[in-house]
Amino acid sequence: MEATSNRLLCAFAWISGALVLLTTALLIGFLIQRGLGSINGALFFGDTPWLSAVLNKRMVFDGIWPALAGTFLLVVLSSSLAIPVGIASGLYLAEYAPKRVRSALEFAVDLLSGTPSIVMGLFGFALILLLRKTIGPNAQTGLWLAGLCLALLILPYVIRTTQTALEALPPRFRMVGPAMGLSRWQNVRKVLLPMASRGIFSGAILAIGRAAEDTAVILLTGVVAQTGLPRGLGDKFEALPFRIYFLAAEYRSQHQLDQGFAMALVLMAMTGALFLAAFALRRSAERRWKRQ
Amino acid sequence: METPVIQPVIQMEDLTVRFGRKRVLHGITFTLPPGELMVIVGPSGAGKSTLLRAINRLNEFHGEARTGGRVRVTLEGEAIDIHKDSICLPELRRRVGMVFQTPAILPFSIEKNLSMPLRVTLGIGRGAARRRMEEALRKVSLWQEVKGRLRDDAATLSGGQQQRLCLARTLALEPQILLLDEPTASLDFKATEKIEQLLLALKTDYSIVAVSHSLRQARRLADRLLVLREGRVMREMAGSQLRQAGVFERLIEEAF
Repeated sequence: MEATSNRLLCAFAWISGALVLLTTALLIGFLIQRGLGSINGALFFGDTPWLSAVLNKRMVFDGIWPALAGTFLLVVLSSSLAIPVGIASGLYLAEYAPKRVRSALEFAVDLLSGTPSIVMGLFGFALILLLRKTIGPNAQTGLWLAGLCLALLILPYVIRTTQTALEALPPRFRMVGPAMGLSRWQNVRKVLLPMASRGIFSGAILAIGRAAEDTAVILLTGVVAQTGLPRGLGDKFEALPFRIYFLAAEYRSQHQLDQGFAMALVLMAMTGALFLAAFALRRSAERRWKRQ
Repeated sequence: METPVIQPVIQMEDLTVRFGRKRVLHGITFTLPPGELMVIVGPSGAGKSTLLRAINRLNEFHGEARTGGRVRVTLEGEAIDIHKDSICLPELRRRVGMVFQTPAILPFSIEKNLSMPLRVTLGIGRGAARRRMEEALRKVSLWQEVKGRLRDDAATLSGGQQQRLCLARTLALEPQILLLDEPTASLDFKATEKIEQLLLALKTDYSIVAVSHSLRQARRLADRLLVLREGRVMREMAGSQLRQAGVFERLIEEAF
């Protein structure tokens, strides 16, 4: 009986693993089949010469370059807000917070992680209305607001993974540093954080992926269909997920739909590149921690 | 002619430790003269590790630990009450070095395992740290085995080598007292023998308190023996007494 259930469980695990692989392969294959043919210079820059577009000397009307740059800026902005705050909060929860404070904060983090992204977008929109009525009559939606709301959306991922990674360390390692004369902060910085770095980086990578793909938040906080590259944090911006959504809903020809698939492929490639960069950063940080 | 008074290195008076409502140690009192190796034995749950950690206040890592009584340690010739507010805890813990039961190597290179604590706690430069590292590795007879692979991951060492590395890491910080929590518990016979020889050599320079799960090991090593049972000192005796015929067997029956 036990042998049968073991075999069944084993088969289920194999099938589940294979399904994940198959789904990913199918998705990528489908996107490549529909979109690869439309990936060319015109998709990115339209009629504008690429150098003029990249240097923002001429506006790009038909290409996705502004949307690509907008998404990249959005990911960088929201990640640079959420990742440091998230790691610090996770560290506080795992290492410093007294029991009662921890329960209250964990509840708040859970609540935040359960907030639908459209609600986060509404929060951003309401924030602008509040600012207009109080201290900023000219306040407008834009890159900064979208970045802030996205940061709030991805913050719980970073907090929870940091906390879990630190709490999962074997208890004996907590005492090694102090037993050698390290202060509490030195122990956290020199022993615990490097040891938990894999888990923490996973959280950061997850957050980056989430920030790159979200559409609902940016819909209400500053994304527009055609505006070119943003010149500052207060400017409106274009973003790939919104462009894909817009094209999928409003396409007028097969060519436009194929362009939508090509954009999805580009978005996946960009997210993949960001993941690779994060992995490379993790590996180099690990090498530094291990050797020096 | 007056006989010089030898100041004990550790003086413990009526020490009690509780974790929450559970009292783990009850009124422990003992003294350890300088240059001696004291072995604490007792069955599992007797409070041996807790007693060891009371000497460098490491029990405080358990939020619910409450300690009573008095512990004085002599560092640089000065007797210090370790529960006084003015004490610098990291400094106390560096001076009263500790080695754990399972080799607690950090997931770094062999070199960094030794140099990181030196550079962080003492703020010494790379060159000085390297000199101290080599000296400590030689003390534990590990230098010849690792000198060509200092940048390798410390996890690639064998269990016995890892434990000697941990001992070297502690010695490099120049402690005056060594606390060893069952340092051979996870090692095979050969590695255990090596560590035991090392401890016998080290006791000329350091006062050592070691927890052991084995009375036979205590008989081989101890200048002084403390037998704990259910958080109380059941017997305290000199090592020479332990080696007398019949005493050892009686003790096994009483204590375990």
